[in-house]
Amino acid sequence: MPSKTAEAPLKRKRSKGAEKPKKRARSDSGSDAEDNAQAEILLLENGILESKKNYNNITKLLDLSRNKKDGESSLIATVALCRVFLRLLAQGSMQKKADQSEKETIVIQWLKDRLVDYEGVLIDALAEDDTESTALTLAMRVLKAEGQYRDNKDEYSFPEPFLKDIVHAIVFNGSEDLREEFCEKYLGEYCDVRYYAFKVMSEIFGTDESDQSTREALFNNAYEMLSFFDEVPDTMEEMGEYYLEKPPKKHPVTILSQQKRLGQVAWLAALRLGPNRDQRKQVLQIMTRSIAPWFTQPEFLADFLTDSYNAGGSISLLALGGIFYLIQHRNLDYPSFYTKLYSLLDSDILHSKHRSRFLRLLDTFLNSTHLPAALIASFIKRLARLSLNAPPAAIVSIVPLFYNLFRKHPSTTFMMHRVPRSKEEKALIENEGWNDPFDMAESDPMLTNAIDSCIWELVQHQSHYHPNVATVSKIISEQFTKQTYNLEDFLDHSYGSLLDAELSKQVRKPPVVEFMIPKRIFLPQDPASGAEDNLLTKIWGFE
Amino acid sequence: MAGSQLKRLKASLHKEGLIGPQKSKKDKKRDSKSGVKRMDKRAALEGIREQFNPFDLKHNVRGPKFDVTSNRPTNKAIHGRPMEAKTASEERRRQTLTVDEQRKNKVGGIVDRRFGENDPTLAPEERMLERFARETQSRHKKSSMFDLEDDEPGFDLTHGGKALSLDGPALVDDFDEDMEGLSDEDEDNEGRRAYLKRKALTEGEDVDVDDAQPERKKTKQEIYSEIIAKSKAHKAARQEAKDEDEDIREELNKELNNIKNLLFRTKDPRNNEPLDKAAEDAERVKMEKEYDLRVRQMLQDRRAQPTERTKTDEEQAAEASERLQKLEEKRQKRMRGEQESESEDEKEKDTEEAEPTADFMEEDDDDEFGLGGGIAEKSKKSKIRPTATELGFDDEDDFFIEDDIVASGSELSLDEEEDEDESDEDGEDDDEFTKGLLGETEQKDPAFSMSSNTGSKDDPEGVPYSYASCPETHQEFLDAIKNVPVEKLHVVIVRIRTIFHAQLDSQNKAKLGKFTLALIHHLPHLASQPKLPPFSVFEQLIRHIHSLAKTYPIEVACEFRSHLEDFAKTRPLDPNLGDLIIFTAIGTVFPPSDHFHQVVTPAQLEIARFLGQKIPKQLSDLAKGVYLSILILQYQQVSKRYMPELINFNLNTLLALAPQSRKNVPFPVHELPGGLRLSNAQATEIRKLNCYDCVESERSAKDQNAFKIAIIDSTVKVLEAAAMLWADKTSFLETFEPFKQILEHLASKSCRSHFPEALRDRMRKVQTKMDQMLKLAQIQRKPLELHHHRPLAIKSSMPKFEDTFDPNKHYDPDRERAESAKLRKEFKNERKGAMRELRKDANFMAREKLRVKKAKDEAYEKKYKRLVAEIQGEEGRESNAYAREKEARKKAAKRNK
Repeated sequence: MPSKTAEAPLKRKRSKGAEKPKKRARSDSGSDAEDNAQAEILLLENGILESKKNYNNITKLLDLSRNKKDGESSLIATVALCRVFLRLLAQGSMQKKADQSEKETIVIQWLKDRLVDYEGVLIDALAEDDTESTALTLAMRVLKAEGQYRDNKDEYSFPEPFLKDIVHAIVFNGSEDLREEFCEKYLGEYCDVRYYAFKVMSEIFGTDESDQSTREALFNNAYEMLSFFDEVPDTMEEMGEYYLEKPPKKHPVTILSQQKRLGQVAWLAALRLGPNRDQRKQVLQIMTRSIAPWFTQPEFLADFLTDSYNAGGSISLLALGGIFYLIQHRNLDYPSFYTKLYSLLDSDILHSKHRSRFLRLLDTFLNSTHLPAALIASFIKRLARLSLNAPPAAIVSIVPLFYNLFRKHPSTTFMMHRVPRSKEEKALIENEGWNDPFDMAESDPMLTNAIDSCIWELVQHQSHYHPNVATVSKIISEQFTKQTYNLEDFLDHSYGSLLDAELSKQVRKPPVVEFMIPKRIFLPQDPASGAEDNLLTKIWGFE
Repeated sequence: MAGSQLKRLKASLHKEGLIGPQKSKKDKKRDSKSGVKRMDKRAALEGIREQFNPFDLKHNVRGPKFDVTSNRPTNKAIHGRPMEAKTASEERRRQTLTVDEQRKNKVGGIVDRRFGENDPTLAPEERMLERFARETQSRHKKSSMFDLEDDEPGFDLTHGGKALSLDGPALVDDFDEDMEGLSDEDEDNEGRRAYLKRKALTEGEDVDVDDAQPERKKTKQEIYSEIIAKSKAHKAARQEAKDEDEDIREELNKELNNIKNLLFRTKDPRNNEPLDKAAEDAERVKMEKEYDLRVRQMLQDRRAQPTERTKTDEEQAAEASERLQKLEEKRQKRMRGEQESESEDEKEKDTEEAEPTADFMEEDDDDEFGLGGGIAEKSKKSKIRPTATELGFDDEDDFFIEDDIVASGSELSLDEEEDEDESDEDGEDDDEFTKGLLGETEQKDPAFSMSSNTGSKDDPEGVPYSYASCPETHQEFLDAIKNVPVEKLHVVIVRIRTIFHAQLDSQNKAKLGKFTLALIHHLPHLASQPKLPPFSVFEQLIRHIHSLAKTYPIEVACEFRSHLEDFAKTRPLDPNLGDLIIFTAIGTVFPPSDHFHQVVTPAQLEIARFLGQKIPKQLSDLAKGVYLSILILQYQQVSKRYMPELINFNLNTLLALAPQSRKNVPFPVHELPGGLRLSNAQATEIRKLNCYDCVESERSAKDQNAFKIAIIDSTVKVLEAAAMLWADKTSFLETFEPFKQILEHLASKSCRSHFPEALRDRMRKVQTKMDQMLKLAQIQRKPLELHHHRPLAIKSSMPKFEDTFDPNKHYDPDRERAESAKLRKEFKNERKGAMRELRKDANFMAREKLRVKKAKDEAYEKKYKRLVAEIQGEEGRESNAYAREKEARKKAAKRNK
């Protein structure tokens, strides 16, 4: 029996979810009953293929496949139906021809209706956890067959309605695994699937959903699918192969910019869903790498980005990257950009998770030698002031940045080295001290007077408790012999990484041990000895 | 010198005096007398010949290039004498090559035709084999059986089917045998012959034994041997005579005494002289022996050395203080994380010259953190300067590693010294320590001093005196102290340390090392008890660990580090009491002032991580933070390093507990979850925080308020201490400005009312203090002048000049390449020379061969001609004779006619 052998691999293809009902079936009805059901389905299937008289078996199979109670046999029926329809489509028995009798036309019409029914079954199956993977494979196979053996041979047409149903089911009801599978197997691989999927996605997202929570859930799913593409393809070769046959030339599927345009449309539709704060962060994080390249007209992103930039907090930090992308690629003119950038330097910035990301961008923004020195000085001074309360990893990363800035803007070096000009001035400083002209509260970086100030903060860091931070801070008072420091080497540190660096080293040579053993550690000193209590005993109570 | 060659020759001969008018006799005589004349004449002729044959010399074609005046011989125009060189080489070849050629294949005068005789590659066996093969071949080649020339017998004679051979034993010539026998008994014969001869001589008969043979002439050897034998015999005879004479003289000598006695019969005590002499000899030998022995002993004796004087108390104290001072200096160096530069040293001396010894004496006495006072002054003055340590920074790729290397490098030397120090100081330290711990009562207790001998007897408190084995794991240690009250823990430790002292057994050192680790384990174990033991127990425990750490620094450090690692992995933001104790122990056992320390640095990082990243959720978190802040301040008492996290945490604590919230601080504020702000605590007593506060528990509202007040009070104290500690930091103003503002905020109307009066007073005091400090800092503030560096020299790239440049020399900087080039050149020259020589040899050989051939041909021609001439002469003669005969016959016929 040839069909029996064909059965085996299909069975194996079943997703793991399908195993559960199978076991249950085995436990209550036994293997004999199951075998019987399977044999019956096979018989029905063979009957259809043998002669047209048995076409009514299709409805039986459809009923079987709709029967969710017996998962096993319903699945087998679905698979069998897929085979049946594929074969029918391949035979051409579902194609209208000129010289067909009316009866035959009716039969074909009937078959087509059944096919639509079957597609409905598949779409339903997509929503089920157990059957989704198989259903997806079957649906895509049917989709392919439908596209290949269509009525009109000359015209390229993609079975868009069916795809829309599939995508709709995946986006709304599908599980995470299903979405991932769809993206991996079809969306990423085949450029025509992607093209039409984007198209239908923008239609799906465009439908107005009033409920905020469903919109957020929808956005999550959309984000999941759209962000599948880490790298946006640059050439048509990278776009992937065709799932159906290659469309004729000049067809929009074959054109890169058209593909990108649809990506843009899909993203815009998704963004219109109104992501919440966290989703916004997610989007902003992949903005420059995975989203903006899809856009043939990135200007469309400007509103979203400026909104985010003005939102404040970490969203502003993240939006900065996107803004920079627009400035770079679209010559976006952002009014008072540096003032805004300066305002981002708040008390949280050096403690933020996105610190290194921000510092990287800041380095880029301050890279130009045409910037006024007063502005640069403001940035330096403000960061230095903030570093007085910063973790070691932040200090380590800003000091080389300062070094590079000092090198690039020599007039800011007065912040490190300022010799009083006249004797009177010197005497004044000796007697009354020197007033720091820097105004921390000023929001305009051109007016802070930072360039007339000094960076005492960094000198203080030269006696930082962490030896590496202290050493790094000392480069400021060394001679500036090095051209630049590579910022990348200093950016990505944290308490964890610093600790790992310390603890992963082996102790080879004996560490120094304090030579004096203290008489008292916790308890107050003997009053007789006359020694002073240590700080711990003074403040903390040990009894 | 114009004129023809001949004229010139004449002129020059004339000039030399070789020709010309004859000299007078007188002149001749004078010349011959001087004896130089003939030599002169020859030399002069040589000179003239040379002069007139310029082609014998090789000249520089165009003469010297430049006119050069130098003190070297100027005869450089002549480069060589080709003719002479040629003849010389020809002569040499004739002497060597021709001789070789003539000797070729010859032995003596005979051509050696033996096969392979001069072939060294052929083994003798092979050679023999080949020769045999050739011989047989050549024999086969002889085609003619009747060749008379063939002296080899082609076939052998046979007799009765047997080959007739002279070698066969059957046919031995009798004659031969006889001869052989004769030759064998040659010597006997000789003897016999000699005997006969002698006999004849003695008998006077003139009978020659060898009648049959003629008298053989003696060989030279025989003659010589005879002569030698004769002379030997003479010598022996002479010797014998001499011996005899000697004997006689001896006898005479012996008898002399008797004769003397006979002659002078006086009482001579030395009549028994020979006996005396023997005794004397023996004595002398003995004495000499003794003398030698003494000398040897003296050589081996070590020279006496002065013993060390027992030191006086002052000296000991001075020594101790010096040692401490040295240790302190090392610590200072480590604190700066660098090798101290000399200039800095001097600077320090200048500022710190004032009675450093007195300082340390004092410290020696109190032996506490009081140490810090003097050093603090010191470090205040010695400005921390960037030095070569940062050179490691150049390679920023692996900056952290590099830094470590530098840091460790600077410590390396210190450690070695330390070790030395330690080795001698350790013992006494330990002893002192244990002594101190033992306490006087125990020391006097005889039972304790004999603890190792006594059985498992317990003292009144139930502490056993002896332990069967040293507890090496924490579990074993727990078993050991199961029944011991926790207060007596240190007694147990002391006893274990005494029983298993490293000097008592070789294995004890390792055991004690493991025991130390168990002790460290015991710290968090103790701290995790529901009822905390008194802190004196912790204190003793840490002090024990400290003293053991001097012997086991690596083990102890690793143990502490593993604790730190565990803490970092499992509960980085949630330390328990054990962790707090561990941090405290680290701060005392290891010097926290070091720039880098394998244990202290990670510990500080972990504390900083807690202070920086902990988002306080409950009051106990704040209490822990306060404890750790105090620890950090204590760590930094000496080195005064800045920790931003400490300021953040404590200010945050104040803000979080303040009755009203406040914004605008330079760090992220973490609010406590609701209801934890202070309110209405006017009537609360201020108490100190304690370790039970670090554990979260249910508290009544009153307790809660007291707790909050305690936290606020401690925090203010901590910040005050921090301000004192970091008072001289450059950015003191900016660092403590927020503190001042927060104090003001707490003193504002809305907040003030919630605090108890005492705390309000405290805060007011602190506030005024802070005001003063900030004012002072403002006055002391100066613009930065970090870059008073010497300007960097522009890099010079002068070309390297060779003073004595010689174009012929090769100045290849690559030594190997230069050498190989030299060798190659030498090889090329040698090769060229060798080829030229070979070519010349071949030419010579060809010429020589041609010459020989020519000579041979000539000789042949001559001979041929001679023979032809002879024959012709004979023919002519004969024909003449014939003609004459014919003539005569004609004449005769005519006549007859």
